[in-house]
Amino acid sequence: MTVADALMLALGAIAVGSAVFVVTSAHLVRAGFYLVVSLGATAGLYLVLGAELVAWVQILVYVGAVVVLLLFAVMLTRAPIGPSPDLDRPALPAALVGGGVGLGLTVLLIDAFRWTEFELPPAGTGRRVGEQIFGAWVLPFEVLSILLLAALVGAIVLSRPDIGARPDPNAPADSDVPPPGPVDESDEVKARLERIAARQAAAQDRLRAQRAAENAGAPPTETAGVKTREDVLREQAHDVVFRAREAGPTLGGPPENPETSQEGRPRVIEGTSHENPARTLPTGNDRALPRGTDRALPRGNDRALPASADKGPALPKPPAQDDEET
Amino acid sequence: MHAVIPYVIAGLLFALGVYGVLRRRNAILVLMAVELMLNAVNLILVAADATIKSALAGVQPEAWAYPVPEPRAGAIFALFVIVLAAAEVGVGLAIILQYYRLRRDVVLDDVALHEHDHERVSG
Repeated sequence: MTVADALMLALGAIAVGSAVFVVTSAHLVRAGFYLVVSLGATAGLYLVLGAELVAWVQILVYVGAVVVLLLFAVMLTRAPIGPSPDLDRPALPAALVGGGVGLGLTVLLIDAFRWTEFELPPAGTGRRVGEQIFGAWVLPFEVLSILLLAALVGAIVLSRPDIGARPDPNAPADSDVPPPGPVDESDEVKARLERIAARQAAAQDRLRAQRAAENAGAPPTETAGVKTREDVLREQAHDVVFRAREAGPTLGGPPENPETSQEGRPRVIEGTSHENPARTLPTGNDRALPRGTDRALPRGNDRALPASADKGPALPKPPAQDDEET
Repeated sequence: MHAVIPYVIAGLLFALGVYGVLRRRNAILVLMAVELMLNAVNLILVAADATIKSALAGVQPEAWAYPVPEPRAGAIFALFVIVLAAAEVGVGLAIILQYYRLRRDVVLDDVALHEHDHERVSG
């Protein structure tokens, strides 16, 4: 019992033990990772047996490519994360056949190699392997390259459904698609969606009007003195986003006022009302772009559209009105 | 070094692969068990590469058995088997994924092998 023997025994125990978990684990992903351990231990056995190139190719191809492919397949077939209960057949026939094969092979190999001792081969180099592959075994090498090409083309053809596809007579027709649910046809849902669309359109119109007003050469005057223009704009955007959500219909809530929620008569949006025109300075609750003393300053509770037709005089910005009428 | 150790390990790995192929119902796990069997064959080849000279001590060498001056072809065969296994896994996974696309399942017991199995499986 030399050091190499002990090493081979340990690596073989790891390989066989993890292989047992590969074939018995109830988790698909764990089986894949146990396969990694088993193949890695086998690569260690190759190293002990003096086949370095085979060991590294084993790690590269098996652990690096084949197991990754298997795990990709596990992922693509939507395998569950937890244990799968219906993964196995009844164990008895498989155990009988597998045990028979294992017992037969073990007895045969022990009988054949029982007393054989061998010296550790000299460290192999890539030179010897290369000379053999491209000398004595060059024809199998070329045939193998053609086989790899064929496997590549075959995998692509299998993976693409549009190559060689024939209409399946047993396939269900398109009329088997379930009809849309009743909620899609409901008048209530339609009205609600229209209200939401109207509100969004109103908010967009208002923002566009403001931008047009700024582009028209009306720089905002700093009446407040404490808020910069960026702060005010940010607050306005905040209001547009969050007030619209607060003002939206809630499920199970009281019915909205139909006068303010219908199309064409949207809610009042702040920043567009002439109420309380005497106020010239924005207070803490005011979230609007201050535009001078002659213009109405918004109040937090006001929600109106600048483009509402029945509130034409309420529009503070003539260029904005032009923009929206077009 | 005892030559029997890698051979017995390879035999046990092959038996576990056979057990997995017969036991598992999931096609991907069957492919993993097939990988175990191919790996056992590789181990046999590499072990024979290292030990066959000692095992055949006293046997009259035949001229056809030595195509090269140094008959160490087991590692080359192992490389070939690794390439074959990679190609097999590629095509096998393509088949499995195509089958999953058709049936939303990879259970091997439900595969319809004949035409008259179709109604029974889909029903």
